Amino acid sequence: MVHRSLYPAIVLPLLLSSGFCAAATDRSNPIDEALENYWTSRGIAIPAPVSDAAFARRVFLDLWGLLPTPEQFQDFERDNHPDKRERLIQELLANRRNYSEHWISFWNDLLRNDEGVFYDGARESITTWLLHALESNLPYDQFAAKLLNPEQRGDPKGFLIGVNWRGDVSASQIPPMQAAQNSAQVFLGVNLKCNSCHDSFISKWKLKDAYGLAGFFSESPLDIYRCDMKTDEKSETRFLYPEIGSVDSDASLAERRAAAARLFTCKQDTRFARTFVNRIWDRLLGRGLVASVDDMDRAPWDAEILDMLAEDFVEHNYDIQFLVNRIMTSRAYQAPSVPVQAEEKQFVFRGPLLRRLTAEQYVDAISSITGEWRVLSLEESGQGVYSREWRLKSSPLTRSLGRPIRDQVYTRRNPEATTLQALEVVNGETLDNLLARGAKRMLGVLPDAPPNLFDSGVVRGDPVAVDIDVTGVKKLWLVTKDTDSYDPARTVAGWANPNFTSPAGSISLQVRKAVLQFKGQQPANALVTPVPSEMSFDIGGKGYTRFRAIVGVDQKCLINEIGPRIRFFVFAEKPDYEQLVRVKPERPVALHHERYTPNSLITRLYLYAFSRDPEPAERRVALEFLNATGDDKRISSESLEDLLWAVFQAPEFEFIH
Amino acid sequence: MENPVNALVEGLSRRYFLRQSAAAAMAALAAGNARQLRAGGEKITPTADTLILLWMAGGMAQTETFDPKRYTPFEPGLPSSAVLSTFPSIDTVVDDIKISQGLDRIAKIMDRGTLIRTHRVGDLGHILHTRHQYHWHTGYPPPQSVAAPHMGAVLSRTLGPNHPDMPAFVDIGQNLEIGGESDGVKAFHTAGFLGTEYGPFLIADPADAAASVRPPAHMTDGRFRARYERYRKLVESSPIAKYGSDYQQESLERSLEKAHRLVTSGVAKAFDLSLEPKAIYDTYNTGRFGLGCLLARRLTEAGARFIEVTTEYVPFRYWDTHENGHQRAIGMKQSVDAPVSRLILDLEERGLLNRTVVVIASEFGRDMMVEGKPDKRVKEQISIKQPDIMTEPKHYGMHRHFTESGCVLIFGGGFKKGLLYGKTAEERPCRILEKPVTIDDLHATLYRAMGIPPDLAYQVEQRPFHVTKDGKGKPVMELFA
Repeated sequence: MVHRSLYPAIVLPLLLSSGFCAAATDRSNPIDEALENYWTSRGIAIPAPVSDAAFARRVFLDLWGLLPTPEQFQDFERDNHPDKRERLIQELLANRRNYSEHWISFWNDLLRNDEGVFYDGARESITTWLLHALESNLPYDQFAAKLLNPEQRGDPKGFLIGVNWRGDVSASQIPPMQAAQNSAQVFLGVNLKCNSCHDSFISKWKLKDAYGLAGFFSESPLDIYRCDMKTDEKSETRFLYPEIGSVDSDASLAERRAAAARLFTCKQDTRFARTFVNRIWDRLLGRGLVASVDDMDRAPWDAEILDMLAEDFVEHNYDIQFLVNRIMTSRAYQAPSVPVQAEEKQFVFRGPLLRRLTAEQYVDAISSITGEWRVLSLEESGQGVYSREWRLKSSPLTRSLGRPIRDQVYTRRNPEATTLQALEVVNGETLDNLLARGAKRMLGVLPDAPPNLFDSGVVRGDPVAVDIDVTGVKKLWLVTKDTDSYDPARTVAGWANPNFTSPAGSISLQVRKAVLQFKGQQPANALVTPVPSEMSFDIGGKGYTRFRAIVGVDQKCLINEIGPRIRFFVFAEKPDYEQLVRVKPERPVALHHERYTPNSLITRLYLYAFSRDPEPAERRVALEFLNATGDDKRISSESLEDLLWAVFQAPEFEFIH
Repeated sequence: MENPVNALVEGLSRRYFLRQSAAAAMAALAAGNARQLRAGGEKITPTADTLILLWMAGGMAQTETFDPKRYTPFEPGLPSSAVLSTFPSIDTVVDDIKISQGLDRIAKIMDRGTLIRTHRVGDLGHILHTRHQYHWHTGYPPPQSVAAPHMGAVLSRTLGPNHPDMPAFVDIGQNLEIGGESDGVKAFHTAGFLGTEYGPFLIADPADAAASVRPPAHMTDGRFRARYERYRKLVESSPIAKYGSDYQQESLERSLEKAHRLVTSGVAKAFDLSLEPKAIYDTYNTGRFGLGCLLARRLTEAGARFIEVTTEYVPFRYWDTHENGHQRAIGMKQSVDAPVSRLILDLEERGLLNRTVVVIASEFGRDMMVEGKPDKRVKEQISIKQPDIMTEPKHYGMHRHFTESGCVLIFGGGFKKGLLYGKTAEERPCRILEKPVTIDDLHATLYRAMGIPPDLAYQVEQRPFHVTKDGKGKPVMELFA
């Protein structure tokens, strides 16, 4: 089936003189006027806005990806100003750090950005650029132009490089073709995947169109392949909508990329703005104005709103935060949520769809409530940071909750509840550990992790010297930890020439006679340890002042099949294995200190998790969980762990309503 | 044909099935669930209910296992080009089939199997193990413009489990964090666009499998049950009786219920290897792979649909012999010989082999000289060079990646018994002489055994995605009994 293109870019210009923008100057939101028409013409009563509570939870999750803290929530509830919703949105938008740390996941999915992916050593992270672009609210036309034409150092080259695997690839997947497919999908809502191989069966796009766009990103003209069979033809650089403009196929790559940036983002290319506003609408309301966000040839449920929103966005210089604000202040966004319906013949917009928390929102919410954050540690020694989930490698938990492997463009997360996901939350290690520590953290019974005295960073071949002050230390712990060696069981690692300095001179620490030979060095007496291992030595009262050693791996295990990557630590207290590195104390959300009674804990938990107080019946069950009466002094961390688990599995917690 | 799994299934309540089918209908409507497209051609009667894939990860040298060539013992000064096999071959119970020394137990059950010696994998250029593994497991070489589903996910989506409480697709033995190629491994251990419901239930260590269907380590059964019961009470006492449609709320609750049922039901016992008699456990216990085979047998009995057991891919380890290949092949053969043969015999004794396909396969073969294919050599791996003249035992082995031919061994599930299929040359470069079997055709064959036509497709982004590449796989009919 070939369907009609509703928006062949230039044919349907934006209504730049419609008065829409003028209306925006007074306090009414222009979306509302259009929506009013839409609803009244269908005989649908205009829904009253949601409660403050539902609104606050929504906007915090949609702008920061975090739940409002009870304090933030109560401040908002108590505020009596009529414009408090607008001000809250402004306030949240103004915290660019929190805003960026939420929205970056949307962009990572869309731009296939991820850290540490080395299929061919050619994939390049654009995280630093992306964060900066979000923090500075880079206008969307410039944002896209940088991705399409990264000229300067620090520009996001990774987007055009794409995802490459070592070896030969199908003609439809060479980097310029990937760049064509992705830029068309992401920026214009055009699917060129089918016609990267042959003329499309499902749309008007031809093989030559895909090659035409790929020509903007290719060093030289490409041989055209049809279903991986070479033809005699060469690609000619041609934009999908030639009526907008063109570039000479013989122009330099730099000129062609610059042309791509210009053509995609020029104001005549109204598809560019429509595609984007539709994505943001979809993201904030659960369903796009055009339901298939990657196929903008489909009909929107209301063309007027789509066009007005796109026009408004262009008029306001592609200001992304302006657009988000525009949508959030509308009645559309503030209407009560509507459950997902079985497919209707004719979709009618009644309000935002009920949305599920993303994997990142889910884990960040748990960390916010409990104060227990995971640590991002660098390969080098040095300080780690408490981190929001997006920064960390995906885990079995987050993958089961829908965080994608970003080898393809993901424009929406799959909200499905699945059995594997449920198994992961029922007995998976990640959540279990988070809750066990989180419960203790809330009750103030999780001791602070002791800071290490020494951290070697990841050691591969070159040994590292330890030379630390141990004055007054009673007991010394030496820890070796594996960090993804290919064969940790066969690594031979240890502490060479370990010795203490005391007023009497140097005393060597010799537990067992063994020898380590580091690469390019003489063999040395050493404390050879299995990996992982922990050893402790009582050194109290001996007057030792320094501990010295050389840590590393023996040269005989520097072979491919072992691939050692070992990290060494020294502690003066029993180490906390969740946190061997030193961590900067700041957390994404400040720690809340309170000595709870069961009642005060339950109240706070409900306020934080659900933005409401518990009903008496709920409080009773929660107390049953805690095996306590309301004013008991003691809460066991085990019982709290179970209550937390139940709250975090509640549908009310998992949905944005 | 009698299927003992049915006996287990009958015990389930009618209500459960009704809810399942209602849920399936709703799930089909939900976003992100790929619609199945009608396949052309005849209706296929399956010859098997379960597929077990025993994955020889890292590239199993065919000349050191199931396609032995002339044996040349090691001596210093031996030219590499003179060596085709580093083991003598041994007889099997089938007259015309000889295999490599060290696979003595498998030799004794060769009369139950079909041996393909001409499995030819893709030309992907410069070798990358995870890329070939991705190709083998999904039928499509990466990169792809949509996320291709693992074969286990296709079976899970198309057929579901044999027992409703079991995960349909269980993957045993592979850690996903393996250093440099972790992302490559993760990329195909997924259901791709089919959605996580059909993804692998991953068990990295089979000895620890029970833990994956047991309450968390520090939690008693009583506490675990109480937690769930109180959770139900907490949700029921919520003033907002229903958040979302019945569908959204119910699917969350149902998935949690299903997970709890798996943990607390009899099916969980299937994961517990400690319930196995010690003598049998010991026969299988050559390490993680061996215990994985035992677990695969138990999960087959309990109603899984697709089970993969891997020797595990970790760069430069296990079958990925870049150096010292002869010695390492001895070890690898020791780890697979006993459990594989025991698995086949156990399934046979239990009357399950007729309805269970067991496949042994690898991403490619190996050779001492040729990297890639004889006519399409690819760039040498830089790490370790094979010298022209061997001076040390560590030079003796199949250290390069050979994509021209590899071996696939298939038991049970409607396949011929004692069949040798395909022939490779006796002299280097040991080209395929007749009957090459591509990944597409091998998959078409395996899918056919499971009752699935090669052109069955799921819709993604409005276009069909076929279970074999472009729907063009052709089953090798000669392999079926």
